[in-house]
Amino acid sequence: MKKILMAAGLSTLMMGTTAMAQQIGVSVARFDDNGLTVMRNGMTAYDEELADVSLQIEDATDDVAKQLDQINNFIASGVDAIIVNAVDTNATEAMSNAAAAAGVPLVYVNRQPINMDTLPDGQAFVASNEIESGTLKAFEICKNLRAEGKSGGATAYILMGQLSNQAAVQRTKDVDDVIGMDMCNFITIIDRQTAEWSRDKASDLMTNWLSSGEPFDAVFANNDEMAIGAIQAMKSAGISMDEVQVGGVDATSDALLAMQAGDLDVTVFQDLAGQGRGSIDTALALINGEEVDKTVFIPFKLVTPDNVSEFMQ
Amino acid sequence: MSDNSDGVGGLTFDKSKRHWPNELNVFAALILIVVIFEILGAVYVGQSLLFDTNDRFDSIFNEARLRIIIIQVAIVGIIAIGVTQVIITAGIDLSSGSVVGATAMIAMSFAQVAMVNGAENPKAIFGPAFLDLPWLVPVIVGLAVGTLAGLVNGLLVAYARIPPFIATLGMMLFARGVAQWWSSGNPISFPTESYAKIGAGMMPVFIFLSLAVIFHLIMNYTVYGKHTYAIGSNEAAARMSGINVPRHLLWVYGIAGMLSGLSAVILTSKNLTAQSGMGLSYELDAIAMAVIGGVSLFGGRGSIIGTVIGALIIGVITSGFTFLKLGAFYQEMALGCIIVGAVALDQWQQQRAARKA
Repeated sequence: MKKILMAAGLSTLMMGTTAMAQQIGVSVARFDDNGLTVMRNGMTAYDEELADVSLQIEDATDDVAKQLDQINNFIASGVDAIIVNAVDTNATEAMSNAAAAAGVPLVYVNRQPINMDTLPDGQAFVASNEIESGTLKAFEICKNLRAEGKSGGATAYILMGQLSNQAAVQRTKDVDDVIGMDMCNFITIIDRQTAEWSRDKASDLMTNWLSSGEPFDAVFANNDEMAIGAIQAMKSAGISMDEVQVGGVDATSDALLAMQAGDLDVTVFQDLAGQGRGSIDTALALINGEEVDKTVFIPFKLVTPDNVSEFMQ
Repeated sequence: MSDNSDGVGGLTFDKSKRHWPNELNVFAALILIVVIFEILGAVYVGQSLLFDTNDRFDSIFNEARLRIIIIQVAIVGIIAIGVTQVIITAGIDLSSGSVVGATAMIAMSFAQVAMVNGAENPKAIFGPAFLDLPWLVPVIVGLAVGTLAGLVNGLLVAYARIPPFIATLGMMLFARGVAQWWSSGNPISFPTESYAKIGAGMMPVFIFLSLAVIFHLIMNYTVYGKHTYAIGSNEAAARMSGINVPRHLLWVYGIAGMLSGLSAVILTSKNLTAQSGMGLSYELDAIAMAVIGGVSLFGGRGSIIGTVIGALIIGVITSGFTFLKLGAFYQEMALGCIIVGAVALDQWQQQRAARKA
């Protein structure tokens, strides 16, 4: 019910934007996700630069079924290409089939489709290599801990995103993989819990951990919002941020400022706006029948206090 | 506790037929849950949940854990105080969480600081004239937005005669839309220092408990309280006895909205940010607190004290799971079982009491 009403409202709002240009329909998993909003804004900004492209962006409100409906509606209304930021990466097969049957080019962005190996012609995937993000972060923290002379043994907590989310699973696994290496196996994880990507939940969870009084050296967060929540909790408990390594992923502007203030130690910049632009470029190339790689990678970048100023806008 | 629940037309519950107030049952459940966690803690992690086992505090208690148990439920608890009143009138408010989202975004826009780390605030929503405002401005804006949403709910329920479930479902969708539209989904961060104090440290707890005391007194010793119970027990009888039911419902929903607005203010202040997804499913958490605390979804029965204890139970469970390092997957399963279990137990006791009567 909720989803239907939202869709109805959104599609009425979108009506006005159609013109005679290349029509690209975009279905984004969630409009209220910070990272995806950066990506979406990247698309909108690029759309304004390109005179002959007209974007129609819809919110799938985290609903798998609704997203497939949106794609079928795009096909029915005769768009030239479709860009999908998948709600559930396990459900992409049906989307690929629908687009392939109608001969409409399809670009997946940001989240890797499950059918990557069997992607039909005229379809591609634009993203950053997710494995880079958690690995870059965890390895940097490992190096920092060694530099602090803690290679004899260190303990850490992991703040996880929604457990159903591929990025959360992957970024957590990246931490496990890094501390499985000989160079970093001095790190032991005390506990790992989900704070659902949320700053508030992360701050409460961190305070709960602190109440056990167990000493620790690092906090690995699946995203920056949770890293900031943990930082806020530790600061209000009187812990000096010099003594704890905190790492996040996303390089949001809040996180960059926290890093400037000396609170956050490591984050990873996923060029989400670049992914948004890249997905439009890829879609246009597919429309024009150009040869396109199945996977177009937009690289992650490690952000530390040394280079944080490059990322500030 | 309540002489009021068998006030005007209150036929569903007669306190003389009960042995002790319902709140005592809920409190006993709280103690039982604490004892269970203490036993599991002693067996599996060799520590105590509430007591200071490794001598880190001056008192015998683990003060840090006592604080977080209540901090983590205080913000939703404030909403639950309003939701309790709505449910006592036999209504429901599904919009609280979304109203928190919308209010968070709007109120935070008026709480922003001009300079961050020596540079211009990158998240400023309005021009310089709206930066560095006194903390009272965003608070008043927040209360006003929340109250407005609540009054619209009240109008829809009381005057347009739309069932509360549908009216507040509509508001839930609308307010979440407003939250996302306000800044096109972008977060709003960096409040002024004075605003940041509203939700810092134990302030949320202090506000929550103060409001609980105030509304406990209002519900028990004022006409407003008596009418609220009367409408929930038997709306027709309440109307016959001269209560202006629509006007009263407008008040109840307005207050619930105002409390959602207030909790949004505290939430944004605590987290130093407003995001359009904030408050997601808070309405359900608040309803769960009320229901665990013995508030009947059929109306006419329940109390603020019960809801506060219900909130504490959720707080103890949340901290207890982390304390035991229970896997994240199992926590929600267990919470679901506990909510249903609490209501089942309450039902069973009521039926037993009714049979005795």
